[in-house]
Amino acid sequence: MKDLKHLIYFESLLQEAQNELVNKAVEDGQIALGYNCYYIPEVLMNLDGCFSSRLRAPNCTSSDVADYYMTTRNCPYVRAILERGIEGGYNYLSALFGAENCAAMERMEEHFFLINPVKNEKFFVTQIDPPMKGDKTNLDYYKVQLKLKVVDELEKRFGIDVSDAAMRKAVEEHNDLCRTVTEIGNFRKLDNPPITGYEFHVIQLVSQVCPHKLILPYLKETLEELKTRKPDKEFPYRARVILVGSEIDDPEFTKLVEMSGAYVCADRYCFGSFPSREEITIEEGETAFDAICRHYLYWNQCARFMDGFKIDQRHDIVAQLAKDYKADGVIYESMKFCEFWSYEKILANHVLTTEKHIPCCTIEKEYALGAVGQLRTRFQAFIESLEIKTIQGGN
Amino acid sequence: MNTALKIGGKLGMFALLAFVGTFGIYMFNVENKLIYYVIRPLLNKHYDSQVRDRRIV
Amino acid sequence: MFDKVVALIDKKLERFDPIWQAENGVGGQRSRYYDKTGVAKYREWRGVKDTLVDYCAWLKNLAAMAKMVASAPIPCLKGFWEYRWMGSYLGTFMFIDRLFEGYRNKELKIAHMHMHAIVLSLTGRIAYILSHDRRLGASEEKSAHLVPIDEVLPPLFMTGFPDLYPVPLQTLPEFIICDVDQHIEPYYIDVAESFGIAADVCSRCAAETGVALDDAFPLIGKALVTTNMPCNASEATSMFQRRRIGMPDYQATLAMIHNEPEALPFSRKIMEETIAFIEEQYNTKFNWDAFFEGAKRMNEQNTIELEKWDFFKTTHSPLVGIAETLYKLYEWQSVNGTDPYFNKVDRKVIKIMRQAYKEKYEPYGGRTRHRAFLWGPSAVYYTDFPTWIQNCWGINIVLNMDSTMGYNMIDTSDKDKAMDDLTRQAEKACMRHMAVGGWNNVNSVWEWAKNFNCDMVLFNDNVACKGMNGVHALMEEQARDLGFHFIFIEHDLEDSRTISRQDMRKCVNNYMSVVLGEEPLDPTIVEFDDSAAY
Repeated sequence: MKDLKHLIYFESLLQEAQNELVNKAVEDGQIALGYNCYYIPEVLMNLDGCFSSRLRAPNCTSSDVADYYMTTRNCPYVRAILERGIEGGYNYLSALFGAENCAAMERMEEHFFLINPVKNEKFFVTQIDPPMKGDKTNLDYYKVQLKLKVVDELEKRFGIDVSDAAMRKAVEEHNDLCRTVTEIGNFRKLDNPPITGYEFHVIQLVSQVCPHKLILPYLKETLEELKTRKPDKEFPYRARVILVGSEIDDPEFTKLVEMSGAYVCADRYCFGSFPSREEITIEEGETAFDAICRHYLYWNQCARFMDGFKIDQRHDIVAQLAKDYKADGVIYESMKFCEFWSYEKILANHVLTTEKHIPCCTIEKEYALGAVGQLRTRFQAFIESLEIKTIQGGN
Repeated sequence: MNTALKIGGKLGMFALLAFVGTFGIYMFNVENKLIYYVIRPLLNKHYDSQVRDRRIV
Repeated sequence: MFDKVVALIDKKLERFDPIWQAENGVGGQRSRYYDKTGVAKYREWRGVKDTLVDYCAWLKNLAAMAKMVASAPIPCLKGFWEYRWMGSYLGTFMFIDRLFEGYRNKELKIAHMHMHAIVLSLTGRIAYILSHDRRLGASEEKSAHLVPIDEVLPPLFMTGFPDLYPVPLQTLPEFIICDVDQHIEPYYIDVAESFGIAADVCSRCAAETGVALDDAFPLIGKALVTTNMPCNASEATSMFQRRRIGMPDYQATLAMIHNEPEALPFSRKIMEETIAFIEEQYNTKFNWDAFFEGAKRMNEQNTIELEKWDFFKTTHSPLVGIAETLYKLYEWQSVNGTDPYFNKVDRKVIKIMRQAYKEKYEPYGGRTRHRAFLWGPSAVYYTDFPTWIQNCWGINIVLNMDSTMGYNMIDTSDKDKAMDDLTRQAEKACMRHMAVGGWNNVNSVWEWAKNFNCDMVLFNDNVACKGMNGVHALMEEQARDLGFHFIFIEHDLEDSRTISRQDMRKCVNNYMSVVLGEEPLDPTIVEFDDSAAY
């Protein structure tokens, strides 16, 4: 396939958190707001006057100082983020909106106010107590937490307009971005898609780490380009898989799967587009804020949800994605030392394999892709098994 | 009176023997030795041979 | 005359007393053990009076166990046959022996009063549960009034259902038994890991998962209450347990950041929904009068506890070490106002403590050199750690983190206030009050240590606990700044294979000998192998 016009530029934007577009937005007086997790609605951080920046630590090769603070027995993602913070990689941030979604994440975010690594006089941290169920009681608590620790803080500290009208406008703009990314992603449903899983991963990531207003024109242009982009004559992969799991913010991981022979047709992981690029609908008589909270709680696929509805929803959505995106199998990934995903990937593997009859492979990985030989072998073996299954007619 | 003394004596003797017996077991840790060296190894053998319904469901 | 005879016998037999042996360089606590096993050749000679106290306590516990078997002989035998974890309860006597090594006089008396209460409660509970276990032959109908609830959810609210019998589900196969036998949970951990659960997750929750996957939970009740407490892995293991148990369930997900004012209304709603769930599933009504009675017992428990704290602050408390820690954990978390016998014990114990304070009594024969606040759940395969650390280095564990669980009083007349109070207390449950909910809760350890006049903080460092690993350096820096002796004691909670008891002891030994340059009180227990012990 012909290279995408902006792919190299997009890749360059992913080389550091404080990228060219982030700098431009900050220079223009926009307030940069960091976050780590889907529990913090991206749309609230894109009200007029501010922009969201989902934290990554690209090219992190060691986390020595963070290891001192959090030991080497902790989630490598959070250690990498803390390390990058201490290195000064997030000095552009005016706030970090955290969530007590897992113990490792919570402790990492605490370090951002205990040892003050971010050298920005405006900088502050809040942490919401995110709900663990999808019912009304938990939705109400979610609203209370987001109001108190995100919305009120934005208004009080930065004078951001948080009125219903302002939120409706933010939702509209957010939906525009979601539509664009979703349309791009929909190409992956085709038998011979004009976009690779890697390319989509890059596009999805830039949409999360760059100011929306600045990245959107590039995304729209890419969408137009894809409409006429000619794929290779023959589908060059041996199987189609969905990636499911925790924080995968390195597109090289997707590339690794694809180089092993499987097309990554859907991305159901933190940093992926499922969830994150669903459009927000505001029901009649509902405030924009209520709609945002409802939307984010409903679509949230975090492995920490405990109620039957959300647990089943997690598996159902993967099964539905497999159907919609014609996946032959699912690769479940968990970050090393992740309690939630360590459990979830075992349960999901069982449910998908035995109840939904979708082949699964589970792997555990470090944050930074180092020695990938073992992973490649696992992927190749899985892909081979999928291929054999296809040859045997799905039995 | 004699009968009472006899019963009392027997009871006393029984209590003394019970004390000596149980205190002996206690002091020489007999029950723990029995459990550790005899009962638990037998039970463990049984547990190890169990076929359990081991699955996620 | 009697005292003179006793003194004479004590003098004659003192060479068998391990404390005397250690003081005179001719042996010590470890001398009477078979190597590695934890099996003593003979029990500890503590002098005539204390040996008899220990002997009588042994007899009473033996009687309690005999009563348990007699009350439900067939279910008990079936239980031993069916459940691997039941076999481990045979180690109870050895467990009690090692907990109270070196205990004498008032501390021994209190320790046994506490332990007997636990034994009575547990044996009664085991017999009751086994005789209502459908797996062992009980009918649906017979088992229908038992309510399995997660062990970390305090059961006080269940006193409002006097016709129902709450069962902290994981307590028998996991929470208690891992204290008694260090080899039991590795079996269940291996079961969990054989399904792919990572080896680096919290071993407590891995063990619970293993019990579920091994189909080793008793089959009781009609509906299940799970909880998000205390932390991540316990939330995750609930997913497996609810599936395996296969009953309707309600997840009591209390606020994690529990110190903020907005947490209370939410957690309260969750408690109300929990009660409503039980009402619906068990077709019954919450009885406020019965609940207020339970709350009164809990208030008395906490009132006495607060008075105990005043004594803990002095050097004259005969309630020390594991006798305090284990009892408090069981009484608060598992009994929680549901059993009046514990109130009776509390009343007796506080009387002894008052008297001891008047007499300026010094526990451990005055051999204490340091006073320590123990932070973190103990490595449950090494529950006698507080006993060892006193016997070896003279470090008195004054209070444990888990002894500071919810101590607020509960209103016993106003339903609205009572519900708030109940929620406040439930939020500060085991491993939660000081470990979860933000840095301030963790950091409060220094204030606690200072208030209890401790010069040392022992931080039980669960290698698989992501939350506590996340504050490592900050805790160390705080200790340095505030001038506390501070020791990280690594452990793997319920998996003694990762870090053995000796490895844990080594952390202390190194600090005491290298940093503080102190000599052990009993050299026979500085380094020894007890890897094959229960």
